[in-house]
Order: sequence, then C-alpha cells, then structure tokens
Amino acid sequence: MQSAEHSSHAKHDAPLTIGPSQLGAVVAAAVAIAIAARFFDSGVPVVAAVIIAALVPKAHGWDVRGPIAAMAGLLALFIVRMWPGAEAAAPATTANAANAAVGGHTLTWIVAVPLAGALGILFMPRQAHATLRAATMTLMFAALVLALPLLHVSMGRGYHFNEDVMWMPRFGIHYHVAIDGISLWLVLLTVFIMPVATYASFGTIHTRLKDWCFALLLLEAGMLGAFFALDLFLFYVFWELMLIPMYIMIGVWGGSGRIYSAVKFFLYTFFGSVLMLGAILYIAYAYARVNGGQPSFDYFELERLMLPRHVQIWLWAAFTLAFVIKVPMFPVHTWLPDAHTEAPTAGSVLLAAVMLKMGTYGYLRFSMGLFPEASAEFGANLAGVAVLGGIVYGALCAWKQTDVKRLIAYSSVAHLGYVMLGLFALSQASLEGSILQMVNHGVSTGMLFLLFGVVYDRRHTRQIDEFGGLAKPMPVYAVLFVVATLASIGLPGTNGFIGEFMVITGTFASHNLGHFNGVQAVGAAVGVILGAIYMLMVVQKMFFGPITRKENAVLQDINARELVAVAPLAMMIFVIGLFPNIFLSQIKDAAARVQNDFDGRIMMNPAPRYYEGPIRLTSPRMEQPRAPTVEPTVEPSAERSVEAQAQAQAAVPAGEGH
Amino acid sequence: MLSLFPANDYALIAVILGMPLLGAFVNGIWGKRLGDSAVKLMTLTAVGVSFAAAVVAFIALAQGVSEQNDAHVRLTWNAWEWMHTTGGRDGQNIPIDVKFSIDQLNGIMMLVVTGVGFLIHLYATTYMAGDKGYARFFAYLNLFIFSMLVLILADNLPLLFVGWEGVGLCSYLLIGFWYESAPNAAAGKKAFLANRVGDFGLLCAMFLLAHYTGALDWNGIANGASSLVHPGEPWRVHVWPIGGGQYTGVLHFLQPLKPFTVSAATAVGLALLLGCTGKSAQIPLYIWLPDAMAGPTPVSALIHAATMVTAGVYLICRLSFVFVLSPFTMMVIAIVGASTALLAATIALVQNDIKKVLAYSTVSQLGFMFLGVGVGAFAAGFFHVFTHAFFKACLFLCAGSVIHSMHARIHDDDKAQDIRRMGGLRKWLPLTHGTFAVATAAIIGFPFTSGFFSKDEILYRAYVDRTINPMASSPLFKHFKLYEPPTWIGPVLYTAAVLAAAMTAFYMCRLYFLTFWGDFKGWTIGRPSLIAKQELGDEHGHDDHHHEDLTSPGYPPHESPWQMTVPLIVLAAFSLFAGVLNPGFGILKEKPLDHWLEPVFKAATEGAVVFGHGNDAEWAEHLEWTLALGGIGAFLFGTGLAYWMYVAQKGKPAARLAAEFPGAHQLLLDKWRIDELYDATIISMVDSLADTSAALDKTVIDGILARLTALIVAASGTILRAFQNGVVHMYAAMMVVGIAGMAWFFAVPHANATVVDAGNDDYVVSAAPGVGYGYRWDADGDGLPDQPDFAEASSVKLHLEPGKGPITVGLEVRNAFGLVKRKSISVARPQAPISSL
Repeated sequence: MQSAEHSSHAKHDAPLTIGPSQLGAVVAAAVAIAIAARFFDSGVPVVAAVIIAALVPKAHGWDVRGPIAAMAGLLALFIVRMWPGAEAAAPATTANAANAAVGGHTLTWIVAVPLAGALGILFMPRQAHATLRAATMTLMFAALVLALPLLHVSMGRGYHFNEDVMWMPRFGIHYHVAIDGISLWLVLLTVFIMPVATYASFGTIHTRLKDWCFALLLLEAGMLGAFFALDLFLFYVFWELMLIPMYIMIGVWGGSGRIYSAVKFFLYTFFGSVLMLGAILYIAYAYARVNGGQPSFDYFELERLMLPRHVQIWLWAAFTLAFVIKVPMFPVHTWLPDAHTEAPTAGSVLLAAVMLKMGTYGYLRFSMGLFPEASAEFGANLAGVAVLGGIVYGALCAWKQTDVKRLIAYSSVAHLGYVMLGLFALSQASLEGSILQMVNHGVSTGMLFLLFGVVYDRRHTRQIDEFGGLAKPMPVYAVLFVVATLASIGLPGTNGFIGEFMVITGTFASHNLGHFNGVQAVGAAVGVILGAIYMLMVVQKMFFGPITRKENAVLQDINARELVAVAPLAMMIFVIGLFPNIFLSQIKDAAARVQNDFDGRIMMNPAPRYYEGPIRLTSPRMEQPRAPTVEPTVEPSAERSVEAQAQAQAAVPAGEGH
Repeated sequence: MLSLFPANDYALIAVILGMPLLGAFVNGIWGKRLGDSAVKLMTLTAVGVSFAAAVVAFIALAQGVSEQNDAHVRLTWNAWEWMHTTGGRDGQNIPIDVKFSIDQLNGIMMLVVTGVGFLIHLYATTYMAGDKGYARFFAYLNLFIFSMLVLILADNLPLLFVGWEGVGLCSYLLIGFWYESAPNAAAGKKAFLANRVGDFGLLCAMFLLAHYTGALDWNGIANGASSLVHPGEPWRVHVWPIGGGQYTGVLHFLQPLKPFTVSAATAVGLALLLGCTGKSAQIPLYIWLPDAMAGPTPVSALIHAATMVTAGVYLICRLSFVFVLSPFTMMVIAIVGASTALLAATIALVQNDIKKVLAYSTVSQLGFMFLGVGVGAFAAGFFHVFTHAFFKACLFLCAGSVIHSMHARIHDDDKAQDIRRMGGLRKWLPLTHGTFAVATAAIIGFPFTSGFFSKDEILYRAYVDRTINPMASSPLFKHFKLYEPPTWIGPVLYTAAVLAAAMTAFYMCRLYFLTFWGDFKGWTIGRPSLIAKQELGDEHGHDDHHHEDLTSPGYPPHESPWQMTVPLIVLAAFSLFAGVLNPGFGILKEKPLDHWLEPVFKAATEGAVVFGHGNDAEWAEHLEWTLALGGIGAFLFGTGLAYWMYVAQKGKPAARLAAEFPGAHQLLLDKWRIDELYDATIISMVDSLADTSAALDKTVIDGILARLTALIVAASGTILRAFQNGVVHMYAAMMVVGIAGMAWFFAVPHANATVVDAGNDDYVVSAAPGVGYGYRWDADGDGLPDQPDFAEASSVKLHLEPGKGPITVGLEVRNAFGLVKRKSISVARPQAPISSL
C-alpha cells in the first residue's frame, strides 16, 4: 500500500502491482485477524475493519486507514454484541455488568470528565496548541469509553444507573441522574459526535484555541447532564449550562454576522428557558403545598402531581414553549438558520446533532411526562403545526435558500417536524421512530454540516451558485456528500428511512390525533417528495454540470483529517439503516412505558380528561428508581405494571371521598 | 437440491443477491486501480454467477412445485430482523424482516433480470470501452442488478421499497452518468423526482396496509386482505369530511350530509397505482422516461426497457389479491394503461431520435401491460413483461449498435441518434439489421412471434374480461352497493388498444425503414484517404467534439464486435420464439406460463375476474379468433402504411402531411407539450408556494418575532431614557412623586388574606402582615366581629366538615393611623372529583 501511495500520480488505469510491502501488509493483516479472532467471539469486526480500511481511496496512507479501520471494527463489534438476542449468549456478563453499574457513579463520571476537563483546560498554557488538542480529544474519548458500559444493560422499561444524592435538602433539590431507553441513544450520540466535531474543528480553528477547547468540553458536560438529569432543578442548570458555550462559539468563531446570530440564538432560547424556570418553581411550590411544605424538584415526585386544567395548561405551555423554541418548531424557528449559518462548522454540527434534540427530548420527558392531559389536549393541534409548519413549510423554505448552510438548517426544521409529529401521535411505532429519528438526524445532518465545512474551508462561501461540477475535482467528497444527502432524504437502507417510515406508519395508527391521523400521515409522506426536491437541487448544482468557476476546478479532494472525521458518521448511516433493531430493542420498552403512563393518566380521568379538584399526589409508580441505594433497579414485569396502573386508577375515587 | 437448501431457509438467495453487490463494491472502490479488463471480468462474473445461481434456484423451485402438485411454493430466506412498526386495528406489533422469497412469479422475473442483465453487461463491456468512467459505470450497473433483485425477491413491502428506491437511485446515477453536461444531470433529477411522487403513493399504501391488514409481508397481507373491504363505516377511508369528524365551525356547510368514503382496498389500490405509474412511466408520471434516454444506451436497454420500468407491473401482479378487491382501481389501471399506450404511440409517430422513438414505444408497451393486469389478466400482462424484456432490450441494443457505428464519424450525441441521418444501414450492419428486424416483428405483432402472442392475449382479455368485487356475494354486502365497472368499458379498451397497436406497427416500421432501408444520409461514403489521421485516438471518444465536415468522404459505418452482436442474436432468438411459452388460440393444449403462474393468481382472480356477457366462457372462447383479427389488422395496416409512406413513396406522404397540418405535427413533436403543462400548473404552483413561504419566513415570521419584539424593547428603552437625562430637577421631581406614592401606600391599610388547606378539613385564613396592623376577625360568619378589639392574631383556623357550604369570614385591618379596611373572604371546600359523585 505504501508503494501504491507513491504511485498515486501514475496513470489511473495502471494495473495493481503487488510488491513486498503489499505482501507484508497482507501477512500482517492476516496475523492481526488471527490474533483478534481469539479475543473476540467472532471475526466479523476484524473482517469489517480490514474491508473498510481497504475501501479508503488510495491517496491516503495508514494514518487514515488505521483509524477508519479501528472505527469500522468497533462498530462491527458493537453490532455483533448489541444484536437483539445476543445477550442471551452471555447472560452472566450482562447481568454482572448491570449489577456493577447500577449502584455506581457511571453517569456522574461521564459528566464529570468533560466538566473537570473544561476547568482543567483553564490552567493550561494558551500557546500549547498541540497539548490542548490532545487533552481535549483524550477527555472526549474518555467520556466515550466511560459511556460504553451503558450498552451492557438491557434497558427495558426501567431507569438504570440511578444515582440520587440530596443536594439542597431545604428545597428538595437532588442530584438525581439516571437513563432509560429514551435517553440512552441520545447520550451515546453526544459522546460519539463530540470527538468527531472536535477533531474536525481542529483543522480550522486556530485562534483562541484554549477557549475553544474549554467551550467544547463545557458544552459536552452540559448536554450530557441535561440528558441524565431527573431533577428539574438539575436539568435546568445543565440546560442553561450548554447555552453559554454555544453562544460563545457562535459569537467568537462565527462568520461575519456572528454577533447578531449569537444574540438572537441566546435571546430566543433564554426567553423560553426563563418561562420554564418559572414553571419549574411553581410546580415545586405546588408540590410543597400538598406535601406538608417540603418541596421537591424530583421528576418522579412531580410526576405524581395531579394538576387541574387551569394550572396544568400554563405550566405545560411554559415548558413546551421552551422546548419548542429549542427544537425549533414553526413559528419560533427563525433563530436556527441564522445560528447555523454563522456558527463555525463544529458549532453547526453540535447544534444540529445534539442541541436541537434537547427540545424534542425535553418535550417527551417533561411536557408529556408531567402534563399528560395538557399534552393530549394540544397534541393534535401541534401535530398539524409539525406537519404544515415543519415538514412542508420547512422543506419549501429550504428549497428557496441560496445559502447551503441555511438550506440545511431549514431541512432540520423539516426533519424535526417528523420527530415532533411522532411524539404528538404517540403510538408505539411513532414514538420509537421519533426517538430513532432524533439520532438519525444527528448523524445525517451532522454529516452534511461537516461535509459542507470541507468546501467552506476551501472556498469561504456558502452560496450554492458559487459551486458547480465539484464531482470532477473532488470525487470522494462528492460520493460522501451524496451518501449524506440520500440519508437525509430517507432513502431506504439508510437511517433516515427507518425513522420516517416508523413515524409515518405510527402516525396513521395513532389514536391521539383526533380525526386527523390520516391527513397528518399523508402530509408527512408529502415531505418525502419535498425533501428530495431541495436536497437533489443542492447536489445537482454543487456537484454536477460543467465547472463554471475556475477556482473550483483545482479544489483539493477531502483530506485525511476530514475523511477520518466523516467516516464514523458515514458508517453510522448504514449501521442504523440496516440494523435498526439494535437501537429499537433498547428503545422499545421505554417507549411502551411512556405510552402506557400517558394513556393511564388520560384514562384515569373521565370525560374532560383533566383531573378536577385540588392539587394532590398519586401513589408512586413502579418504574420509579428507589432511594440511592446499591439495590439494582428491578425491571418490573408487565403484569406488575398493569397492577400498578389498576391501583392508580382505583386510587382516584378513593382519594378525595365525601 | 431442496435438501441442500431447505425451502424455508433458502440461503442460495444470498448468492444471487450478493454477487452483484460484491461486483458493485469492487468496481466502485478499486475499479480505477484494477484497470478496465479486471472491471470487465468482475462485472461479468458477478452477474453471471448470479444468473447461474438463479437458474439453480429456479430448478429447485420447479422441483418444489411439481412435488407439491402445482401449489404456490415459496423458497424463503430470512436474513435478519430489520425493524417493526405498529398496525392493525388494535395496534399490534408488525415485525419487518430482511426476508426474501422466490415463488413462481418472481422466479421468472429473477431469471429475466439476471439473464437479460448478463447479456446487456456483456454488450456494455464493449460499448463503454474507453470511457473515463468505465469502472464507475459497471459499479452502478451491478448495484442496479442488486437493487432490482432486492425489489423482486423481497418478501415484504418495505423491503421491496428498498429495492424500489435503490433502482431509482441507480437510474438517477446512470441517467446522469455523463454528469458534466447539465441536461443529463437534470434528466436524472427529473426521473428521481417523478419516482419520488410515486414513492409517496407507495408510502401511503404501506401505512394503509399496515393499519387495515395488520401486516406488510405478502402472506400477511393476503391473510388480512378481506378486511380491506367492509361496509362498516370505521372500516372505510373517510375522504370528506377528513377522517370522518363532524365539524360545527363556520365552515360546517361544506360537509355533506352523508360522508364521502372509499373502501380501504380502493385507497390502497390507488396509492399503489400512483407508485406504479411513477416507476413504470404511466400517465401521469411518464414524463421522465423519454428524458432518461440521456443515459448510455445499455442503461436504456437494461433499466429503462427490460427490467426497472416493469417493476410497477410486477408490483400489481404481486399484490393482485389487493387490487382485485377494488374493481374501481382495476378499471383505473386499465384506463391508465390504455390511454398511456395511445398517447405514447401518437408521440412516437413523429419523433426523429432513434432512442426517443424506442422510449415512447416502451411507455406505450408498458401501457399494454397495465391494460392487461388492469382487466384482471395478470398472467397475460406478465407474459408481455417477459416478451417485452427480450424484444425491447434487443431493439435498444441494436440502436446502441447503430449509434456506435454512427459515432465513428458523428460525435454529437443528438445528431448521431437522428434517424434522418441514417438509412441504408442494412448493407453495412447486417447482423444488427437482422436482429432489429426480428425484434421489430415481435413488437408490432407479426404473427407467431413472441410479441404477437402476448399482445393478442391482452387485446382479447381486455374485450372479454370483467372484474367484479369478489366479496360481492358475501352476506355483509347485502345492503351495500358495490361499485361495478360499466359493461361498455371492455370494447372501448379493446378499440383503444387496437389503435395503439396499429400506431405501434406504423412507427416501428417507420423507424426500421428509415434506419436500415433507403440511402445512407449520414456522410459521404468514399475513399478513406483523409480518414486515417482523423481517427487516431478519437474512436468513440465522447469528449472529443471537433467538428468535421461530413460531406467529405469517409469509411462506411461498421458492424460492431462480437461482444455486442452475440447478445443481439440471443435476444432476437428469444423475441422470436418466447411465444411458445404461452401461445393462445389453442395451439398447445395447456399454456405453460399460464399454468405455471396459476397458483400465484388463483386466489386473486377467483370470483373477481369473470368473462363479460354473464360470465359466458363459450362466448369468450368463440371471440378469440374474431378479436385476434383486430390485432392482425392493426399490424397489417400499420406496417403497410409505413411501407407505402417510407419505402414506396420515399417519405413524401409524411412530409406532405406534416406540411398540411403543421400545428398538429409540431404538437406531436413537442410531445403534446405535457411537460410544459406540468411546468405551468403543478410545478409552478409548488414553486410559487415555496417562494411565498420563503418570503413569509423572512418578512412576517422573522419580522414579527425577532424584529418587532426588539423594536418594542428598544422603544420602551427610548421612552424610559427620557427620564434618565441627567437633569437634577427631573430626578428631584421623580423622587417627590415616588415618595408621595409610597406615603399613600403606607397610610392606607390593606386587607389581603390567603386561604390554605391545612388538612383534616381544617383551613387557615391568614392576613397579610403590615407595620402596626391590628386584626379583628369574624370567623363564624355571623357578620359581627368575634371580639370587640383589634388584636395581633393575623390568622384564624376554621373547620369545615365535608358537605358543609362555604363560610364567609370577615376581616378588619386597622393600621397605625387608625384607618380601617374591611374584607370578607369566602372559604369553601374544593369540589370533589366528578368521578366520586
């Protein structure tokens, strides 16, 4: 392969010559396969690694092939290990891991590493760029490695890795973190995409590198914490914590209009957040009133509150507004194109891949969990907004953009329309599809932003018209971009299809959309056509046709750093597209739980479906993790949870008698 | 054979599918490094092995069929669990697996795809020689074969959709293969988008099927299909008012007294049909196929004639048991097919580009297939798919051979494909001429060629067959009127099809005569004195566009090498003889193909497809020869007219006609201006909608939410800034006003109280504190203070038994200035939940 590299400038169709170095490489690979096969149950990961490494275009050497092969091998290992039913083969290890992990501080460690790292970075010399980069990457990989044990546990319906420590006893504020099947993949998406974006950014960010590393690590800690937090106060702390680094990233390293965009981003999000803070305080206060004056911010405690309609709709509105701005949904989406356009590439990637999911996740966890009746009342209407204002309107707006990053931003509005539609529809498939689509959007839109960053670095323009015929000078880049495009428009076999398909079929099967489930499903399906229109428009204008500008004719194809950064996302597109069951099997039961809880609350109350009467508490539920002991979280069986529901229902009339 | 691979785990499918995929990978990734000859080897091996495995699988299938006495046999292979979704009335889980199966229907399709595919690959290895994207071309082509095989072998609809979109993607990539020219890329995009509109239909069909039948695999859909037709309201699809809701709003007059509903079978059928019209280029989505000819000719032969475009017909055959449940949908399919056949045939009459004529003829022939399956003659429609694959692939490859020879001198693609520049080619391209003639004979229905049998079967069945709802006899529908297609539809469809067949004969013969007969008009044939140096290095180079003088003498056109002619001969042989597989007119006692496919369609057609005239089999049988006269007459008329016009009269009548009716001629040349119509209506509508959205987003949404709020804040700031102007007098005045306000607040007592539920039916009323306040309570509600003097106690506790009414508590507050304020507070128990009453 070394000599292949040397002869890269030779004629294209020169036949493959096999020299000693190639022979050596083959032998070394064979030995490596043999050794690795001993350690792993099967040779699949190794074979995958070797094949993927061989697929790398010949312009690259082993410095590129190595990391990409490692990624491929690890992903293959992930598939083999996570295959539904695979855990049955090794029940002992899985159970042990679960037991060991449940009582531990796994989640705390995952948040603490980047957080402490961010603080540590502050004490490092500003000039030592290489050290800063190495430290940041190491910390991010450490977070990734620490997050891997989460995969060992079969999520089921329950919460895992529960850690509940009293923080401020007087206010009932806990440090309560846990994950379930819903947050699991979002957490993994975060720890997966952070190193990718960070690595890519090191190629372009050279000014204020120390601040950049600090912001990245703080952002990671904030995002992870927000996914972990099950205490509303803690959630709010992390929620705001991630706002600041992103604000700085756009405002300092952004494009020419960065200040306007950063301020707009901050004000929009902060407006919603403050309303949410008010609602959080109110709900804790309401809890205190029915709990003898002791407030609580704990999610499971607050979930037990029965709120009458006039209280619930306002609290729901405050929470939902905060989340909807973050998603963003029509009509509060206009901060997103501005923020994406001006943000540096890594900022756009993280914003699209993870931060927007905070809104959808928050709606699913908090708005729907704490205020199910209000969510049910307004869900059908909001589904209409998600389809018309998100899927259709977002796509139409995207089509008319002349700025590539703005276009991708509007496509995010459209894609998150699917996610929100799935949440509003709240059938088993639509919920699972939604959660998977959150991850999908992170992968494919993240990849699109990352790839666009490549040509942006070369041409420093975002206008579509400035490009044209790029497929000739940049063939590998064109292939990757087309792959990301196809994932984005939901071609079957890629990840986008799975999410969209499940959301659309689930929407049609939904009972929560009134008479409109059919229309919403059709509207969502129309989005499939519109998505193809705008994305293919970009591909055609950027890559095909004659080269219209001579500066484009000499563009360098994707380089080693960029290729290594994009490779894991490209692989994930197909991993999710072909083996979605790995992901769905973890999501499935948690989605069923959300649906059962929701329907349980709705069914609990008669016709107006809201609880009427003074605010009160229901009995605790089965999935609620118990006190912060070492006791492993017991996964309740199906009958038990049904029983619990029956009890809860019986409790209502008895609660406030004559 | 079945013992090696059991029927329920037929892993040989992995080989059939895997080889083309491997070929695509190897050629796509290492193609440039391997060199052209290795690419050729890889691509031919991939498709060849796939074909061999397909043959083995087919033999195993045949064995299984004979063992099980002509039952519907499936060889299945479940690769892995893919995903799942929710469906059915009670929202059960529908698993969707990566599962493939081979049965009688797709077994034949599989052989056609791999077999014809192999021949076209062989042809293309020479045709594309020297192209810069040689490896890329074969990577795409192998990927296409893989996708096509996924499409036909898939055992459930979502997996079929993978192949469905996969072939669309390959088609997109191959149409735009020479992407450096903008029109090619645009044609690719057009094809993809038209197909996406169809995919929208397919997606809708999928969620409808998932919901109504509770399954998405073929067996499951078949089992649940009966629930697609049910007279009950909840089982029907409510079109208007949407979803069956009742509105009481302002627009309530818009809703009819009786809701407009269609059966789920009709909704599913029409949605599927939309998907099929997209892929199979039927009205209204046929517009992409003629443009798709921008791709290399082998692509046109493989994708846009023989295989991909027949996917729609395949899907209708595959889900025949769903379609027959809705006679309305069946009628629509037949009408769409007949009108497409007619429309495309009229356009083909006047086109001058050899590939365009063939493209419209493909659209037209696909219309025949739709007509066939639309009247319930699934086997006849599928038989036409089968024969069409041979003769149309042959025609396209011949066209490629002709273009190849023209390209030696004329490097402009459009000119090299113009039949007005050809003529007399039979002298120089004898093999191409012969095979073209045979394939033309087949397509125009020359008696006893394959096309004759398949087309006549369709014409005949269009006249005599009638589709009725198979559920009609069910007691459920005693009081429910089911749709029945009108009786006159059969003769009308027959007439339209005969007209289309006559036109087919005319335009195909026109094409044949203009290309191969008469005098050569491309360039002057002469001594090659000047040619030697010109031809150096630019043999068929697509990038070499130097304009040469075509009047100077040059070599005559040359016949193609054997790699290109062997596929032509094989395909021509099949075009000629494939008819024996299903000859009509009682030539064989039993039609082999009908018999082979019978188990697949039996369940669908039983009770659903009957003969007209009161299901009179004898009547239908008697008509067979009579109706065949229409087809033969069409052939004779079309061929004769073309011979008279273009051979006997050397094209003069045609020129005269064109001169006499310039408007009509131009309209046909412009393809009825359907593209322009679409541009002016639906496309410009969506476009202006998008413009409006973008403008709205910029001005209204962003304007109100971002700029207006910013403006309000800024305006408030401006107003408040007026007070902070640094003038001491102003500050002093503000202070006076402020102090006066505060003095007023403290001078007046405030009687505010809150009620708190203290549990145990106790309620505490507490008054707001204030400096120097004294309180006097009236806790028993008698209207008089409980004690005469004001006291310090700022709260009072009440006990309220359940069921007791509200108590009015009086509160008097006196402040240090001796001013008193009174307030009465009503304390009531909160209402009990409704459920406990």
